[in-house]
Amino acid sequence: MVPPSSAPATSTTPETDLRPDPGSFRDPANRVLHADGQILRGLGPRAAEDWQALVGTEFFPRLIAEGKICGTEALEPQAVPASQAGQWSTVLRHERIPFVSYPYEWSFAMLRDAALLHLEILRTAVPAGFTTKDGSAYNLQWRGVEPVFIDIGSFEPARDGEPWAGYRQFCQTMLYPLLLQAHLGLDFQPWLRSRIDGLEAGQLRKLFDGTRRFRAGVLKHVHLHDAMQNRFAGASTGAVREQLKDAGFSRELVLATLRAIDKLVRRLDWQPPQSHWSDYRETCTYSDADREQKEEFVATALTEAGRPGLVLDLGANDGTYSRLAARHADYVVAVESDPAVVDQLYRRLSAEGERRILPLVMDLADPSPGGGWRGVERASFAARADADAVLALAVVHHLAIGRNVPLPEILDWLVGLMPTAGGDGRLVVEFVHPDDPMAVRLLANKPAGIFPDYHRDEFERLLAQRCTIVRRTELASGTRTLYVGTPRDRG
Amino acid sequence: MKDLAYLDAGSGSLIVQAVVGGVAGVAVAAKLYWRRLTSRFRKQPSEQD
Repeated sequence: MVPPSSAPATSTTPETDLRPDPGSFRDPANRVLHADGQILRGLGPRAAEDWQALVGTEFFPRLIAEGKICGTEALEPQAVPASQAGQWSTVLRHERIPFVSYPYEWSFAMLRDAALLHLEILRTAVPAGFTTKDGSAYNLQWRGVEPVFIDIGSFEPARDGEPWAGYRQFCQTMLYPLLLQAHLGLDFQPWLRSRIDGLEAGQLRKLFDGTRRFRAGVLKHVHLHDAMQNRFAGASTGAVREQLKDAGFSRELVLATLRAIDKLVRRLDWQPPQSHWSDYRETCTYSDADREQKEEFVATALTEAGRPGLVLDLGANDGTYSRLAARHADYVVAVESDPAVVDQLYRRLSAEGERRILPLVMDLADPSPGGGWRGVERASFAARADADAVLALAVVHHLAIGRNVPLPEILDWLVGLMPTAGGDGRLVVEFVHPDDPMAVRLLANKPAGIFPDYHRDEFERLLAQRCTIVRRTELASGTRTLYVGTPRDRG
Repeated sequence: MKDLAYLDAGSGSLIVQAVVGGVAGVAVAAKLYWRRLTSRFRKQPSEQD
């Protein structure tokens, strides 16, 4: 780790906490920095020149105003944190994204909409003489169900006669995962999660053999692309750029290529299979009385101690409680393990224009780990979670019985998702008694007596060790108990 | 040499974009192919190793 340089004490702002973002090092021309809760970006001399040209365009401020690019402004020199003064030609400040998520946590329609936004931005930039240096899915984030382009450092003036440098990355992190799901029905999330640079043409080509190669987009973007990569593996990109330019590659051709990719992406669709989770609410054991009681309990828990900023709804299912939470909180992250259910929720929220609920695909028994270089280039879910309230409704039994996770571990994890909330944090958790029909169904697949500690008194004892229990309510059915607790100061 | 981007765009990935771009692009790709082919024949006698 390089210690911060000692900088002149005058005309800069001292900071108490500054760290470079561990996921922002690939393009040395600029770097994202976190300073006192602000998101900054330091630009080297060349990147600063590009920035000056960019802010002078018509399209850039317009796309920011439309919410398609994250809000960005240049800091006045006196506002630059002391340790960074002199290191960068220009320092930018970005709008804060409410919760950082990664493409392997998005559903099919989310990845498709993110890809379409990336293409739209590029198709707007190219006629104005700009391009993006890359084409990564990690260039995008979300405000609720609205995708937003965040990588301001990616814009640079286009050089005439050159194809888009980000095409390969776009294929690997967006187009190929979409093809995989649209044409083969395979969930792309595990592929993206295990490979930070995405899927390679050669890998995909093996999956699209036989007549599958004739599916939309596959022949050109996968088979031909892979063949060309192999054929020109030894040719320098600089020389090929020159040759393409000499052969007549033009800006119009770049736009024609982008149009064709856009048209393809719009054609790709995936209809979620009939999943038992889709009609979970209809088939589960709740009576109307239980549901009403539960909704009231959750609403009270979220409102009685001030408005929470970030709520995590774990095991969100169709998003009923996420919607309820969004009425009482600034932002809600709805986490659900079934990609089909998340996709449906995303499409519904999107149609409604909801901007404060972010649906994510994640198995709670296998939360997103850290990834990339040193395991920190992409942060783990736990490292990103700094919630004010956590809803764990009808999930503990799935983890404890379905996945054999010990109850103390589950509670430690839930409380750990509110690392800075202290006494203002709220854990709303439902305990499903062993005699509840749902628990009985799960226990039927396990040897008798395997979970001797799975009962309400033990759960309550463990919860009380970690939280001050503010209230408990047994639902009318008599087989489920709801708790709201505030984390104890364990310092 | 031209200044290159931080990201290796991939030579094959650059060329394939011409084909994706439609008829005009295919012509560009064909021209590039032809030039690479003829330049190889031209250079061959002096570049044998």
